[in-house]
Amino acid sequence: MDNLYNAIFKGLAPVAKTSVQEALDAGKTPQEIIDDSMIPAMEAIGQEFEAGRVFVPNLLLSARAMKAALDILKPLMMAGQTTTLGTVVIGTVKGDLHDIGKNLVASMLEGRGFKVINLGTDVSKERFIEAARENEADIICLSALLTTTMDYMKDIVDAVKASDLNVKVMVGGAPLTSEFAAGIGADGYSSNANEAVAVAKELLAV
Amino acid sequence: MIEKAFKISPEELPEREVWFAMGYKDSVPEQRIRDLVLELRGRLVPEATLRYAYQVVDAEKLSPRQVRMAGKTFTPEGIICSYLKGMTHALLFIGSAGWEFDRAKEALKSEDDIVSDFIADSIGTVLAEVTVSRIEQDYDGAGTLSMPYSPGYCNWDIREQHLLFSLFPERPCGVILSETSLMAPEKSVSGFFALGEKLQRQPYHCQICKNSKCYKRRKG
Repeated sequence: MDNLYNAIFKGLAPVAKTSVQEALDAGKTPQEIIDDSMIPAMEAIGQEFEAGRVFVPNLLLSARAMKAALDILKPLMMAGQTTTLGTVVIGTVKGDLHDIGKNLVASMLEGRGFKVINLGTDVSKERFIEAARENEADIICLSALLTTTMDYMKDIVDAVKASDLNVKVMVGGAPLTSEFAAGIGADGYSSNANEAVAVAKELLAV
Repeated sequence: MIEKAFKISPEELPEREVWFAMGYKDSVPEQRIRDLVLELRGRLVPEATLRYAYQVVDAEKLSPRQVRMAGKTFTPEGIICSYLKGMTHALLFIGSAGWEFDRAKEALKSEDDIVSDFIADSIGTVLAEVTVSRIEQDYDGAGTLSMPYSPGYCNWDIREQHLLFSLFPERPCGVILSETSLMAPEKSVSGFFALGEKLQRQPYHCQICKNSKCYKRRKG
């Protein structure tokens, strides 16, 4: 495997930056670099996490290295070319200020090729819808850590379905289950940050 | 009611407990993660002033789901109540890593480093748990103390936190409870220890609990 793949897999941001420049100097296009080295490295670290061989910090280190490399490539992309698999609007729902899990999901989505609009915490349904519309989002991701705030997810799902938006809604957070997600009409659910990427890709068929 | 504030040195916060909070369980993180934990522990722990408040009240188990503490009926549900045989009193507590830590953790976010944010969050979790351990050490009254139990865990409805807070003066340890039962500072804990001469202290409940749907069984 190449240096860039290894740098991202191992979460070495400075090496990733050097390696991406080397790949460019060798004549590779940004899209080739992303497709041939960067995405496969993120997929591989995700698989290691699922197998229990690495831990959350390893995912985060890899996502950080991926972002560092993407920051170099994005300005070089031709107009009309895209580095993203889709656009995700993500936030912790109203009444809840927990953000570490939501930020993990945001980082993993970003690292695996999604454009992520992170709305932060304590986000109302109106704000989710407004942001989804402004950014032409493909997916809205809702996070909650409290049983008292997870019920508000249904209000958001209902509001999204009643709107003219063509957007999928994913939910996650410690107290949630797949049964709860199905019960409120969410399109997707994941129990951890790595799985969230797989669910998002499945929802968009990418 | 007893209320105390204290500081600890970075070295008093065990690295292994931070690793555990980060999801490592019995594994040891690689060196660069360990180094980052030590660096952030050195930066954040001196900033923190930990606080706790507690009081001992009359208590009894009413049913397999309910207890009465300080004249109020709580419903901690079956998992917790199964460990309360012999309870005659309860030690109600609130503990917090404090606003100073909260501010230091928020300041770190401006550095836009998700890895550091994650480790800082885990350090905060352990700091809050330190306050609970201190309460346990501090209590020198009669009777055996149970493990601590908190609303929001083991099927105990988190909304009962309001009932618990109603038994304390306003803003105990500076902690504010929101309408949605969210405590601020974020790294705060509340709950009770059961107390009783005939109470048998059980092992840590996650080790003996069979709730297969508990989120603590899932991974990050």
